Amino acid sequence: MAKWGMVIDLDKCTGCTACTTACGMENNRLPGENWQDVLFYQEGEFPSGTMKWFPRPCMHCENASCVEVCPTRATYKDPEGGLVLIDWNKCIGCKYCMIACPYGVRFYTDEKAPIQPDVKQVFKGDGKRSWNPPWRAPENRDDWKHGVGVQPNGVVSKCTFCYHRITKAPKGTPDLDPNNPALREFTPACVVTCAPTARFFGDLDNPNSEVSKMIANQRGVRLRDHTGNKPQVYYLTGGAGGAIPTDRRDKKS
Amino acid sequence: MSNNASTMAAPSGLVNTVFLAGIAGAVISVVLVLASLMGEGHASFNTTSDGVVWGLPISNYLFFVIMSTGLTFVAAFGMVFGIKEFYPVAKRCVWLALATLLAGFASLAFELGHPFRMLWALPTSFQIYSPMNWMGVLYGAELVFIVWKMQKLNAGDWDSGVSKKLGMASFVAAILAVAMLGSVFGMMAMRPYWFGGMIPMYFLLSALLCGVALTVLISYIAYGFERNSMPPAMQDLFKGTTSTLYASIPVVFGTVIGITLVALTLRTATGLWSHQDGFQAFNWMVASPWFTIEAIALLAAFVMMMNPGMRAGQGAQIGAAVLVLVAMFIDRYLFVIGGQVVPVFKGAWVSGFVDYTPSLTEWMLVVMSISLCLAIYAFGEKKLRLTDAPSS
Amino acid sequence: MDILKTKLTRRRFLQASGTAAGATAVAGGVGYATLAPVSEAQAQSGGGTTITKSICAQCPARCGIDVYTTDGRVHAIYGDPGNPIANGKLCPKGHLGTYFLYDADRFRGPMKRTNPKKGRNEDPKFVPISWDEAFGTVAKRLQALRDKGESHRFAHFYGRGWGPTDAGLYGDFGKLYGTPNSAIGHASLCAEGSKRAKQATDGNNSYNAYDYKNTNYILNFGAGFLEAFRPYNNLMQQWGHMRTKSPKTRITSIDVRMSTTMAASDRALMIKPATDAALALAVAHVMLVEGMWDKEFVGDFKDGFNLFKSGQEVPEGSFTEKWTLGLAEWWNTVVKDATPKWAAEITTLSESDILAVAREFGSTRPAMAIMERGPTAHTNGTYAGMCIHALNALAGTMFAKGGMFYQMGVPYGGLPVKSEDFMDEYAKSPDRKKPRLDLAGSADWPMTGTMMQECAKNHLAGKPYKMDTAMFFYTNPIFTAPDAKSWEEALKDVFVIDTSPFPGETAMYADIVMPEHTYLERLQDSPTYPFEGWPMTALRVPAIKPLYDTKHFGDMIIEIGKRMSGPMGEYYKALGNVENIVRARAKGFEANPGDNGVNSYESWVEKGVWFKKPYHWRQYRGEFYEWDGKDYTKKMTADDVKAKLMKTPSGKFEFKSGFLEKHAEYIQRTLGVTPERVGFPQYLPAKHTGGGGDLHLVTPKTSMHAEGRGANLPHAIALAQPSMGGKTTVYLEIHPETAKKRGIKNNGKVRLKANLGTIEAIARYSPATRPDTLILPQEFGHWAQGRWAKGRLAGNTSEICDNVSDPISGLACYYTGKVTIEAA
Repeated sequence: MAKWGMVIDLDKCTGCTACTTACGMENNRLPGENWQDVLFYQEGEFPSGTMKWFPRPCMHCENASCVEVCPTRATYKDPEGGLVLIDWNKCIGCKYCMIACPYGVRFYTDEKAPIQPDVKQVFKGDGKRSWNPPWRAPENRDDWKHGVGVQPNGVVSKCTFCYHRITKAPKGTPDLDPNNPALREFTPACVVTCAPTARFFGDLDNPNSEVSKMIANQRGVRLRDHTGNKPQVYYLTGGAGGAIPTDRRDKKS
Repeated sequence: MSNNASTMAAPSGLVNTVFLAGIAGAVISVVLVLASLMGEGHASFNTTSDGVVWGLPISNYLFFVIMSTGLTFVAAFGMVFGIKEFYPVAKRCVWLALATLLAGFASLAFELGHPFRMLWALPTSFQIYSPMNWMGVLYGAELVFIVWKMQKLNAGDWDSGVSKKLGMASFVAAILAVAMLGSVFGMMAMRPYWFGGMIPMYFLLSALLCGVALTVLISYIAYGFERNSMPPAMQDLFKGTTSTLYASIPVVFGTVIGITLVALTLRTATGLWSHQDGFQAFNWMVASPWFTIEAIALLAAFVMMMNPGMRAGQGAQIGAAVLVLVAMFIDRYLFVIGGQVVPVFKGAWVSGFVDYTPSLTEWMLVVMSISLCLAIYAFGEKKLRLTDAPSS
Repeated sequence: MDILKTKLTRRRFLQASGTAAGATAVAGGVGYATLAPVSEAQAQSGGGTTITKSICAQCPARCGIDVYTTDGRVHAIYGDPGNPIANGKLCPKGHLGTYFLYDADRFRGPMKRTNPKKGRNEDPKFVPISWDEAFGTVAKRLQALRDKGESHRFAHFYGRGWGPTDAGLYGDFGKLYGTPNSAIGHASLCAEGSKRAKQATDGNNSYNAYDYKNTNYILNFGAGFLEAFRPYNNLMQQWGHMRTKSPKTRITSIDVRMSTTMAASDRALMIKPATDAALALAVAHVMLVEGMWDKEFVGDFKDGFNLFKSGQEVPEGSFTEKWTLGLAEWWNTVVKDATPKWAAEITTLSESDILAVAREFGSTRPAMAIMERGPTAHTNGTYAGMCIHALNALAGTMFAKGGMFYQMGVPYGGLPVKSEDFMDEYAKSPDRKKPRLDLAGSADWPMTGTMMQECAKNHLAGKPYKMDTAMFFYTNPIFTAPDAKSWEEALKDVFVIDTSPFPGETAMYADIVMPEHTYLERLQDSPTYPFEGWPMTALRVPAIKPLYDTKHFGDMIIEIGKRMSGPMGEYYKALGNVENIVRARAKGFEANPGDNGVNSYESWVEKGVWFKKPYHWRQYRGEFYEWDGKDYTKKMTADDVKAKLMKTPSGKFEFKSGFLEKHAEYIQRTLGVTPERVGFPQYLPAKHTGGGGDLHLVTPKTSMHAEGRGANLPHAIALAQPSMGGKTTVYLEIHPETAKKRGIKNNGKVRLKANLGTIEAIARYSPATRPDTLILPQEFGHWAQGRWAKGRLAGNTSEICDNVSDPISGLACYYTGKVTIEAA
């Protein structure tokens, strides 16, 4: 049994959002509904003003507050890989998990499309799927129990760490390295595509995994650790553009 | 105590009007809501994943179900604590507790993605850590107890052992339910605006306030805004001329407004004083024109109820009740939205506070709840002898 | 797919006219039926997922891609691990390819116009036709023109050409048909300035290849390294490497706006627009004064003492140069006075920053100074580019490890037929030597290669002549060219053939629409853009049968050619189709198998790319060596270097450009540079356009800008400008003080005014932006195009951009406009 985790090296992240689009393509996300978002902030003022950014997948917390608030246990901690997943058969769409998530990484399907006309109206759903894009993933990938596939209406969705990919990896694999042809297809989409190789994916419970070593050697920190949610996503922090924002909004804005 | 089924006055013509208006309002709003939900689904709401997730329908739900608890309290004054002076409003309050509960639940049902799935998924996959679940269970229990109690009252059974225990049970269930509803928010440490164990207490306090306010308003409606048509005991209760000091609507009402004002002021001051991230929501709250309206309404109502020359007056009482209900509707809205206006890592997508303005469909759910509440109430007034009280 | 079938197959064109547009935008259906049956892509089924090798087409980088197809449906695109540019990775655009394929607004087949009137609000009233009719109509028209002796009045216009199967066909077509306008490329709207700067200094009219892996310092002048510079995907891979290797590569970026590149660099210098040359000269000044130039490449003073003293001339003949020409003269004429203090005043940067950058750059090896369109899209652009590139000579970067060089060609096989054998008397006649429509290379623009932006103007003036017929491929100047609206006037009386698979502004003016395949449906080879120098060519293999009744652009040229009379027709009949071309090119690999074993058409299809490392030349400590098959051991003579590497008149890196001096009279006339100074890299104040506005308007490409083709992808729109949070629009970035002074609110609507007109946008406060500069990404403001692109704010920046070009390179000065802004 693995405890899958991700390491993101902020010193290498270029803020390109390829993780966002790779995820969107792999998981049939709607425009603007970024399971894996990159958030930008401006700090300071000309001539010393700068920009910061921050890639944010679901943290797949050890103590996931979303799991604890879900009335029907539709959101659950997967016992095999330590993932936080949603069973779309059980989700009642109360959105309490979206309230309880300290990281803002959950999405409700039934919303006004930011980009009009709504693609859901252009590629209309079939009663089962909430929409039906011609580029959707193959039918046999649909797996509502684990929140994989085109989402039905009225439920919440989130990053699955590409459950449909990583669960095919041989048991006991310490790291899913996309440069290894044997593991590439089992690696999460965002990790596969990350051009500067800022993302790493592996077993946090295995002290020999590369991710465990990186966390130890390169100051791996967890986001908003004071919430006690214990994310399974770690950030390596350097002095470059990518950095963890310290504050959300100043009082006057 | 003997059972007494005397009816003092027939429901006023106003009740018929209320009933018809309620039915019409409910039908129109439900048709509009269904049309937009079947057309666009919840895209007809202005809630968004990167903004406000729980919008007006949730604050509307809170307004009604918390009020239901408050009405159970008012009923309990007479039926649980034996303050007989409150008997004249007891049965009406029990019925109103039911009406408000149903009105609140209806709003929630239209807000859920899969309300019917809830019916089987909740019992089969009960998450014991979720305060929302316990809230549901407790409100469900309150509903059962109220219905049962109402059935007893309607049969004239005010003080059998079962009837008394049902009164006690609905009182306890109501307290726990509203406390648990408070915990749905109060347990959210990641949202400082909501966080804290005193939030359930604030909900309890404001429940009582809303309960009293609606009792006042509806009592006057029941008698066509004519206090002189009320039974004498009831007139005493409203004039504050009973032998017991606290068995007086103006005293109770004024006191509860006052305590609520203190609580609200302290909560706001605490939030504004603190620099912790997330507390910026209090700045948002006080900057909202709605907050000004809420504060003025509560202060005005407080002044009316504290002023010895005014508080016994019918006009002041009706006015204060309306002001309090409006204020508390705003209070629920600011509370629910305020916990979400500081974005959780939304970056440049959101500049400043999160924007949210309820859509027409969302407002229709408010219209629906109000209409349902009024229609159910008026139905009771017409058919269930809500003026009943034990004779002694 | 069922949706597409039932809802959308009937629609050929998103009808653009007034009220109809709204009604048909989503529901579709102006009621066309395709004449030829649409390939039943959805019926292609059978088993598992196949991975097809292809090349992305959303920027010039040519990343190899793995296209995942299951049950006849393309559902995923990842980088090809076997492709040396992609290495299994992709940029954010790469994954959107599936959305292009299934774009709901795609044209379904060929069509002709039935409304003779043309204009923004004229519905073309397209009706579907057969391919045979489309080709026949065009061929008949071209034949008639040729028969009248006016074949020069036919022009091809193209944007992104990929190689032998499309743009590679233009040359022969022009020769056989007899027009100088086959084809007019888009380079003058793109980055011609950096090419000309390099031609003027090291003799290569080309973009550079770079050895980023081994460099230790990058001085980046306005290249969107982490956004739009090519090959973007690979640059980010290099970035990850550079930032973690030992020693870590230090990067200083100079730009006129805050960007991810600027933010991620070690130092970001927000320079005043169009003043990069002054900074580069100051860096050179410090390097020379402090003795930090590469003496092995450049040379040294005879007696070894550094005589470069600020403000003082060095005696003639005191400096002995090795691989450069004119350093002392350049110093005496230009650099001696280009102190950091002088540059600080011009650039608005601080003197201490300039000094620090110069010392870092001068003291780190290998170090490179890179640039692209930013500093060169001004009237002083070529000179600015030369100043920047001169730093690479001073630092000994040229052809060194960790340095810069030029791209080698691919040893392709020849075509089975030679156009020379099919020239008739007409094609050979001297009468066919007509000037190009754009007057590139004529007395008007003697130093330019292509001037697409001049065509509308020239056509309207009838100078040198009027166009009769124009065929557009991968370009949309009616939307993108400076003074875009002039094209709307010009194309009214031109027979326009558009070949885009998507509706757009050109299509609105088209008389015939011949939609090509989208890239996932094409068979197409494409030699690499300048990359790491060694030769490479990748292949697009169709991942799916064409969804609709579309054709390969190369096949369109061939099919039109076949319908021409005489030897021209024979030539194209012999050529056959694009697959023949690809097969013929692949024959060249038999003698030159690639590093990945590709030695035939079949193995090319399987692997998707042919490449052969290494680059063949290297400069090491002031000597040039050639690869002998095992190592760089063959020492090169000065003549070898001149022939193969530095193709200047002197065979050296010229600080005193022979190329420019040859055109001294022209440069004096257009730029006012005296003949004594004309050859030297120097700072000239730019001539700002726009009609006297007070704020610079800069219109960058963001990373989602798929060369304009992302404007109709909802997913791309939502990510067009994440840095400012523009989910539904791109925002105009404005400094809060600049905004407040003009009463402009955050998120408020604004109007940009210039002499050519006004456009609107939504402003967003951006404290990091220069107070004298407005930033508005180009992309939106389409008045035609698909349902998502059309009418979306912000306005089209090309509409308020004057058609003014750098006289030397011909590069359109997109970033040199000054505008005024007000709340709308």
